[in-house]
Amino acid sequence: MKIVKGAGTVPDREPPVPGDAPAGEPRQERRTRWQSLRGRFDRRFSPYLFIAPYFLLFGIFGVFPMLFTFWVSLHDWSFIGGKAGFAGLDNYAFLVTDAKFWNALLNTLGIFVVAIVPQLLIALFLADTLNRQLRWRGFFRMGVILPYVTSIAAMAIVFGQLFGRDFGLINLSLESFGLDGIDWRSNRLASWVAIAVMIDWRWLGFNTLIYLAAMQAIPRDLYESAAIDGASRLRQFWQITVPMVRPTIMFTVIIATIGQMQLFTEPVIFSADYRGGNQNQFQTVAMLMFEEARQLDNFGYGAAISWIIFVLIVIFAVINVLFISRIRSAT
Amino acid sequence: MTRGRRGGRAATAMAGSAALLAVAACGNGEADEAGESTGGDVHLVLETFGTFGYDELISRFEEETGYTVDHRVTGEHPDYAEALEQNIAAGSGAGDVVALEEAHMAKMLEQGDAFHDLYDYGAGEMEEHFLDWKWELGHSSDGRLIGLGTDVGSLAICYRWDLFEEAGLPTDRDELTETWQTWEDFLEVGLEFRDAGMDEAFVDDVGQFYTAITRQAGDAIYLNRDDELIMDSNPVVKEAFDYAARLAEEDLTAALDTFSDDWNAGIQAGTFATMTCPAWMLGQVEESAGDAGEGLWDVAGVPGEGGNWGGSWLAVPTQSEHPEEAAELAKFLTSTEGHLGAWEEASNLPSSVETLEMDEVQGWTREYFNDAPTGEIFAEGALDLQPYYMGSGHVGVHEAVGAYIDDMQRGEIDPEQAWQDALAEAERAVR
Amino acid sequence: MSVYAPTRSAAGTPAGPRTTNRPRRSASGPLREAGPLTYIALSLVLLFSAFPLYWMFVVATRGNQAIAQRPPAVLPGGQFAGNVVRTLENPAANFTTGLLNSAIVATTTTVSVVFFCSLAGFALAKLRFRGRNALLIGIVLTMMLPVQMAVVPMLIMMDAFDWRGDLRAVIVPFMVTGFGVFMLRQYALQGVPDELIESARVDGCSTFRTYWSIVLPALRPAMVVLGILTFMQNWNEFIWPIAVLGPDNPTVQVSIHNLNLGYTSDFALMFTGATFATLPLLLVFVVFGRKLIGGIMDGAIKG
Repeated sequence: MKIVKGAGTVPDREPPVPGDAPAGEPRQERRTRWQSLRGRFDRRFSPYLFIAPYFLLFGIFGVFPMLFTFWVSLHDWSFIGGKAGFAGLDNYAFLVTDAKFWNALLNTLGIFVVAIVPQLLIALFLADTLNRQLRWRGFFRMGVILPYVTSIAAMAIVFGQLFGRDFGLINLSLESFGLDGIDWRSNRLASWVAIAVMIDWRWLGFNTLIYLAAMQAIPRDLYESAAIDGASRLRQFWQITVPMVRPTIMFTVIIATIGQMQLFTEPVIFSADYRGGNQNQFQTVAMLMFEEARQLDNFGYGAAISWIIFVLIVIFAVINVLFISRIRSAT
Repeated sequence: MTRGRRGGRAATAMAGSAALLAVAACGNGEADEAGESTGGDVHLVLETFGTFGYDELISRFEEETGYTVDHRVTGEHPDYAEALEQNIAAGSGAGDVVALEEAHMAKMLEQGDAFHDLYDYGAGEMEEHFLDWKWELGHSSDGRLIGLGTDVGSLAICYRWDLFEEAGLPTDRDELTETWQTWEDFLEVGLEFRDAGMDEAFVDDVGQFYTAITRQAGDAIYLNRDDELIMDSNPVVKEAFDYAARLAEEDLTAALDTFSDDWNAGIQAGTFATMTCPAWMLGQVEESAGDAGEGLWDVAGVPGEGGNWGGSWLAVPTQSEHPEEAAELAKFLTSTEGHLGAWEEASNLPSSVETLEMDEVQGWTREYFNDAPTGEIFAEGALDLQPYYMGSGHVGVHEAVGAYIDDMQRGEIDPEQAWQDALAEAERAVR
Repeated sequence: MSVYAPTRSAAGTPAGPRTTNRPRRSASGPLREAGPLTYIALSLVLLFSAFPLYWMFVVATRGNQAIAQRPPAVLPGGQFAGNVVRTLENPAANFTTGLLNSAIVATTTTVSVVFFCSLAGFALAKLRFRGRNALLIGIVLTMMLPVQMAVVPMLIMMDAFDWRGDLRAVIVPFMVTGFGVFMLRQYALQGVPDELIESARVDGCSTFRTYWSIVLPALRPAMVVLGILTFMQNWNEFIWPIAVLGPDNPTVQVSIHNLNLGYTSDFALMFTGATFATLPLLLVFVVFGRKLIGGIMDGAIKG
């Protein structure tokens, strides 16, 4: 493999052995001993050294906010006024009985299904297509990431114009075909679809690019021999591409789960507030958290919701990962 | 300045509208550093939102005192309020003088400790020149003076005189003010308008009318002074709600959620004939209707008794390192001179009785609105106003009720159910 | 739970790169030329992706009325130059400072993220050490903590460090991301053959040298994508910068936010700012991106 070029030929350039080595020993031997010592040290500690930066940064910037939020969640806590008294697990207990929370959870999961399943599938197909011989391939590849470059403001206004009830472009076209316009913000399913369109618009290219990178590591001759064997393109996709990039699919599924359970930006833009529809038809858990913590000044309850979001992400990530593994073993 | 702009955000969500995570431009430590590093020089940060009309006044203040003032403006009030709360919660980063909007004020008053008592800085002597209620509402429950009044938002009705003419109704603003003395009269006019076979709706959003009527309540709206929910027992709230329901039932509404994209487009396309206009709403109408709407809108008096919607106060956070000088700035901006300056620069209706009575205010006309004497109309309203108490839970309750009223006018829910649901959610909001 | 069981899932892939000994025809691959349907579909995706960006530019070349116009204007107008001048001269926005700061922030974080995350990703995927899986799970779990509530405690910390208004506040906390570590780790599982590392070991390479001369080239496609995504993310980030940076020392997104002053929102101005902020990004992308994305192909392991 070409990639190893030099790996074996370029010698380790090491500093000369320190002069305090026992005298009389042959130079070569000393060197080897030192090397093996160093080698053992290297093997043992390098991995920790390599991952240390992440934990260092997390230790500084992650732990305090986490503990702070947990502390807040155990109190009656006004956002601006601060602590008003210890509440124990009251906030968590209220959450279990809070219909608004369950409603928000339903919305979050509903939008997840409507948005993410098609998004990841399309991204995979798209990446596979962009990975093949194609005219203007670079152009198309760059094109898919444009939404990620676009400012949120432009997105907000464009989608606002698309999904307006009376003057939105989608409804205007529906009406020009003699159909009834849709009240995108009143109807629960319609609002989920509209939000899913926004999410998919923004994140499709993001995932496509990640898949595309992963597909670079698939040896080309796998496709070649499959083609010689007469496998259709779709068959190649399912039998070569998908299994080969499986770790990356896992990655995107987990990332998407995290992103979706914290879903906030798109529905807030769509709603223009944290309420998510007059009857909270599309209020997500993160929106409820924000509404409580900031608008209704129940910082303690908001903090409790944020911890529950964390637990839910863990649960759903595990479920999704198991689900993906199952799909694979079925094929 | 003033607005509840619930919804303004989608339309205006900008590259970083805090609609998203809700923090807006805010002061930072640098202001303080600058103050320290230059030794004796005082550097103040003033934080406001929208348009307070203070540019000219600030230069004057800087000249007179030798302090420097950095005026930081956030466009949208929700962004502003969130950033301010964030800085107050974090314990630093807020300006030396900050604006507090009406609906936000009650919540901030509860955190009285976060602000200086302006009585300590000699603001007590200003009492005389403010509208009584505006002065009173600047106090925390323990009697500390937290905020000095800036503008008020007395109510009027904006109407499309051309549509009125088409419907065979009077078009003269004085005549209309005379005709709709009560809300009942207003509804009668609406029925006539509808029965004339007009395609356009009579009102934009019944929620606005609901809000206007509750603001004429005097005393309390949803919460009493002990912050207990009295929504169910306060007759004014139910009356206003029933009135909104009737507007919807009689098919007089365009059912546009105020400040939404569709609402803006509705103003532009002229799909309704009247709307409630607090003083600060004129700018919004002018912007949404654009050049094509010039001269088509006019302004008449509001039915019922006066009524206020919006308006702000200036306060000095305890975080400020120059409270003395900050208080000086707040006092200057809310003096007679300050009110007049803000009026002349941004047409913000003064809360100073003296300024309201000046010719500069009373004689003002607005060309865009068919040369309506808006100064006189709004000043009259302002002098008539009754104070009302909001309480810190007001915004949460109002949002909930507003949402059900909107669903009611869209025909998604019947009025009785809407009232019950709104009540239930209000109870949850103030739990 | 194969995510947390790297060796098993790597072994589970039917054919690792190790099976390839034949040289691959570079940048060919394709066995069949795509049909017209593919091009139509791709063009639709492209149109859908690009429209809001294009439309932002349209508004930037027109006045504020273009926003409210129905049906919307679709062709550029002639006011771009004027809007650019207004944007650059807006005293509240400090636009040039914003652009410069964003370049600094995005570049620093990108270089740092790609470097540190590739190190960590490599370690977690390919090195054997005690507690590896636990640490990996730890990283994935920390990614799952909701960030929205962290703003206030983070502000309190920044005050403690005296980093308010300082670029360090928007750089240092983001120099290594769980996202990057996890992404490169997953890629390394699949894209870096164990034999390569073993043979380097046998040749006496230190771990870092193995990383530098063997792993790094193999990770290149994923690093390029991570770099692009990180750069864009940091360039476009606004929630935290707006909270922590003042108007005097903004990033470009803070500048755009500060253009939105006054009673009415001047979208023409804002979108000019946004266009202005996007141009360098697109430029970087067009100039380097072609190379980078092309390089995804060429830089990959050549068997």
